[in-house]
Amino acid sequence: MSVGFLNFYTGVLAVQQQRASLLANNIANADTPGYKAVDIPFDDALSAQLADPSAAPVDPQYRASATVALDGNDVSLDNERVESAQNGEQMVGAATFVRQSTADLITALRPNPSGV
Amino acid sequence: MSGSDIFSIVGSALDAQNARMGAIASNLANVDSITTPGGTPYLAHEVVFAAAPVAGSSDAPGIQDASFDIPAIPGDTASNDAGIDAGQDGVQDMGVSVAGTVLSNAAPKQTYDPSSPYANAQGYVTGSNVSQVDQMVDLIDSSNTYSASVAVLQEAGRVDQQMLSSFQVS
Repeated sequence: MSVGFLNFYTGVLAVQQQRASLLANNIANADTPGYKAVDIPFDDALSAQLADPSAAPVDPQYRASATVALDGNDVSLDNERVESAQNGEQMVGAATFVRQSTADLITALRPNPSGV
Repeated sequence: MSGSDIFSIVGSALDAQNARMGAIASNLANVDSITTPGGTPYLAHEVVFAAAPVAGSSDAPGIQDASFDIPAIPGDTASNDAGIDAGQDGVQDMGVSVAGTVLSNAAPKQTYDPSSPYANAQGYVTGSNVSQVDQMVDLIDSSNTYSASVAVLQEAGRVDQQMLSSFQVS
């Protein structure tokens, strides 16, 4: 059985999961000499994910507007924290939406919804 | 691609920052250490990080505890591009590790104190080369990164909790 919006939100959550790892990695390497912060463009990653869910995740890209410090590191801790919080909030939002939209579906799947 | 990657990445970050704070504590403790003439003064330790796959991830099954294996660090860390391709091939389970410790090459403090038994022929006592201000700045930086990592940890935990409650069939 294929449910359209479930496939869609699988893609959304997969991309957000990948972003969460990348953002955690950026923060972990905030003091690594020469490290450059990476991120993935959400829309491109989502289209790729929806076109072929089994495909490898899109390659992360360096941030374009980052200021590079003397040690070659361009991680902005504040920026990464904001992105991370935002990404987490979006994941929670997507999960909440899926839950509310699937409530009826789950009821319909039960052999005897009223329990009588 | 799993949420536990985040926990390993944050774990490696907390480990690394902890090692750095340990070095800072040692430096600050030795800020007033002095040496006999001709002896090696206490030199400030500086922990250098490198982007590295988290131990236990599928990409790096056999990575060892890097803190015991101190490779030579290029003198000029500013031009060191290590870790620049951290994001290549969509690697997700990355993290940070302690690449090694470098000793500061700043000049040791010389204090004029002819009455000290540690004074040299000119009456100067050689102290450590630790700069208290530098160490405090480093400590604040380290502590900021530490708390950012903890914030990510809490965020990831909250999202996981939400996922669990969202997908439970009641």
